[in-house]
Amino acid sequence: MRKIVFALLASLSVSVAGAQTYSGSRAYDGVHRNVIDGTFLGGFNVVTGWFVGESGTYTRHLTGRWSVSAGEQVQLFKQLYSLDVMGTYRLPIGRTNLYFDGRLLFNRYDRWNVNEPIVNLSAFWETSYVDLRLGESLVRYHKIGVKEEYRSYTTTGYTEPLVMTFGLGVHIRPRSNPWNLGLFIRNFDQFYYENWNINWGVRFHASLKPEMKLYGEFNVRPAGSISQLATRYETSLKVGLHYVL
Amino acid sequence: MSCKMRKITLPTLFAVLLAVSCNKVSPIGVLVAGTAVEDRVAMSELFYRNHLNDRVFLIADGDYTFLVGADSHITNDSARMDEMLETGLNDGDLFYAHLGDIADTKAEYYVTLDSLLQEAKSRYVEKNYTRVNTYEYVRNDSQEDTPARYLYDEIVYPFFPVVGNHDITRNGWALWSNIFHSSFYEIDVIVFLEDGEIAFDHLIFLDSASGTLGKRQIDLINQGILDGKYDDGTSQYRNTFVFSHTNIFRPQFFEFASTFTREETFFLLDQFEKWNVTCAFCGHVHTWDERNYNGVHYLTLDTMCEKNNPEPGDYLVRVHCDADGEVKWSPVHMDTRKRK
Repeated sequence: MRKIVFALLASLSVSVAGAQTYSGSRAYDGVHRNVIDGTFLGGFNVVTGWFVGESGTYTRHLTGRWSVSAGEQVQLFKQLYSLDVMGTYRLPIGRTNLYFDGRLLFNRYDRWNVNEPIVNLSAFWETSYVDLRLGESLVRYHKIGVKEEYRSYTTTGYTEPLVMTFGLGVHIRPRSNPWNLGLFIRNFDQFYYENWNINWGVRFHASLKPEMKLYGEFNVRPAGSISQLATRYETSLKVGLHYVL
Repeated sequence: MSCKMRKITLPTLFAVLLAVSCNKVSPIGVLVAGTAVEDRVAMSELFYRNHLNDRVFLIADGDYTFLVGADSHITNDSARMDEMLETGLNDGDLFYAHLGDIADTKAEYYVTLDSLLQEAKSRYVEKNYTRVNTYEYVRNDSQEDTPARYLYDEIVYPFFPVVGNHDITRNGWALWSNIFHSSFYEIDVIVFLEDGEIAFDHLIFLDSASGTLGKRQIDLINQGILDGKYDDGTSQYRNTFVFSHTNIFRPQFFEFASTFTREETFFLLDQFEKWNVTCAFCGHVHTWDERNYNGVHYLTLDTMCEKNNPEPGDYLVRVHCDADGEVKWSPVHMDTRKRK
């Protein structure tokens, strides 16, 4: 128990690597300490229309247990720009791995002059066929450039006190297989955390070379929630390369 | 898990997902009603176009007040709803706004609601109009030498609701729209001031029953149909009030959070600022919340439903619009036991 608490606290103080789209194993392979992920994405959102973008993440395995990472994202037309750092502690449990992730994320929604800093703590359980993420986020957003006449009586920011993080993925082949195909359902994506809006989709990865994998996902993101009868909101496609060196 | 078991389980999972996608569980969402927000907004737009000549205006002489209530969830007992309408009538409110989840979906509850509104309209007409012949009425406060005459059906009972998520489940929209017709609409309040000047206040009713506005509603908003700007870009409105079922802010950490997505939340907050909204009223979470964000006042109202709030309490809000444009609000106490 002390080990787990320590790992959580320590992972907060270290920076980390993101909730990557790549669905292969996150564990250190014992040879390659550096991991680079690069993703192109495109899609349609009912509020912002069509968008295209890219994201990149660099991960450094400090030891067999500890890793840190940093990432960025640009979504053109949606005008969303993101930065994140994450620290991870891996706890092997039998043939599975339990990761404790501490993450700091900053989103800039430039279209609406809103900054959104987020702290997320989550546990990620990775088995051969299934992965599960549970955690909590502290999400704050604040408006930039508030009119001077408002400043005396208005707030310009809002903090969502508790935003639960939930994600579940399954694959048709073992995680170590050179290729894989699976389904996922979750209430977050690589660069956002939602309260209720559950997105789902199909993901894959395929080995191009021993140190390089192609991966991607098709993501359907409805709006509304169960009791409010979900509606089409955003559909996106991501394709990326996972490179270890 | 054995290899054979895996081979069965995973294709089965895909098959189940595809199968259930066809009916009540859709690939774009979990549960889907008979009518989605896109259909409701399309119907509202059509209704607006077909009734351009019947557009509703409210007329106020200087100061005026209006009453707001939320989440009445009418079942067989409609006492709280009746109390709201009677309070509004007795206290002379210009109009009464309801923030959705007006009834709990079953057809008989909407029959109850319809009867309630018919009775309330009858009392409203009796108080505010004089019958001049078998069919026609004139307003009591009309200052014209030859006051305009109205047929009973032409008299607008000033009760304006937004649609809530309980109003659209199990084909509730068919019942709701049969009474109220439109879920996305606006109303102008024409205010006659003492110096002979005229001011305009603006009421915007959004369809957020699905927890999202949907593409068509967002497109219409982006096209500026609700902006009310003069050619020089200034707003023609003195005050703008927005009514939405779905809340934006969470009253407390243990309450339900808003279901608006990130982008939609920021879009709405920004749009309310562009509309120069004085106050936005929300419901849905059944808990009171008040805050001011970026110059816009947000009131999230507690439910007036007796089943959820059996004790008497301040479940309604009365908004006071002074002739000088200043806006204040006060809680309105409900005690249905006194009426029973």
